Amino acid sequence: MNEIALANNYLVVGALLFGIGLVGFLSRRNMIVMFLAAEMMLQGVSLSLVAWGRLYNDFGGQMLVLFIIAVAACEAAIALALILMLYYRNGSLDIALWQQLREDNLPPYVDHELPELPDDRREWPRLAPAGRDPGIPREKTDYRRHV
Amino acid sequence: MTGPQPIFMAAALLGAVGLWLMLPRASAWGRSLGAVLALASLGMLFTLVFGVGHWAANGAFYVLAAVTVVSAAATITMRKPVYSAVWFALTLLGTAGLFLLQGAQFLAVATVVVYAGAILVTFLFVLMLADPRGRAPYDRVSWEAMVSAASGAVLVGMLSMTLTGVLRAEDLPPPPKPKELQAGVLAKEHVARVGAELLGGHLIAVEVAGTLLLAALVGAAVIVGRSRPMLQEPESVRPETTADREGGRR
Repeated sequence: MNEIALANNYLVVGALLFGIGLVGFLSRRNMIVMFLAAEMMLQGVSLSLVAWGRLYNDFGGQMLVLFIIAVAACEAAIALALILMLYYRNGSLDIALWQQLREDNLPPYVDHELPELPDDRREWPRLAPAGRDPGIPREKTDYRRHV
Repeated sequence: MTGPQPIFMAAALLGAVGLWLMLPRASAWGRSLGAVLALASLGMLFTLVFGVGHWAANGAFYVLAAVTVVSAAATITMRKPVYSAVWFALTLLGTAGLFLLQGAQFLAVATVVVYAGAILVTFLFVLMLADPRGRAPYDRVSWEAMVSAASGAVLVGMLSMTLTGVLRAEDLPPPPKPKELQAGVLAKEHVARVGAELLGGHLIAVEVAGTLLLAALVGAAVIVGRSRPMLQEPESVRPETTADREGGRR
């Protein structure tokens, strides 16, 4: 009973990681955050595999996790290269920009409109530059405390 | 319906509502309420976790599981992708700790070295290259937050309720005794056993994984190296200058 209870605990944590990763993958629009969520789902699966391997006293689960890590490294290399290429095309990491991907002679498929931007992102009118140049160096105006 | 299943269902629903409130949405209200709800559902799930063995091992499991799950939720709810990446590093460390608690020492170290050390740093490189300000509007509005939170709740609820149905002592082969575990997965010479298993039973798979890594390396280099960035003008457009011509003559 003891070992079964232990396996149950770890499987619940693995399921939680997988579920949270799924929610992130479905809802976020930044391609890099989506990819992080996919890696998180892999972590949940790895945790479950190690738990099953311990329940059956077998090294197979741990071996499979080792190969998952190797494949995840390959996947990260290729996907980051592709994301970089997509970024060079569009200047944006937004996945929603690629929903118009289609052939020239096909009608556009519109899933639904993009969600509204929050209020503080609204464009306000800019004042025309007036007076003389204060001479503040560019680094000072671009300094930010937060990332 | 008796037993833990109603609690599983309630916890999954509560967690879904909490995640939906925490995900970046058009309006900012309810983020802290969502965090409270998600923590409450985590606490409800933890009441279902069995106490196993020594209290120190139990406490370590609770702490590591809480760190892993909370930082996972923070990863997908942070507005700024750099923070997401840093929280994901914490998730990886928590997972490595859980591996260690299970006796998988080699996997714990491999996770920290390969994931947190290599993959995540590459992520941060690309993030800094592409979006150093981290103020993009698409990070502030998520995509169908309610539907995705509901589907996550359904998945987690189904998985955990299936667990209680499947993991019963009478259906399983008898679980290993501590002595058998000491001779098997929990052996003292852990790395030697893992190496023997890996290169003894899975030699061809190791070779294939090596080939796959090489192919991925070459593929990534070709993808990034061949096509020039589209936002810059191609080199052929640039008019030839006198300095170029002189350099060519020499």
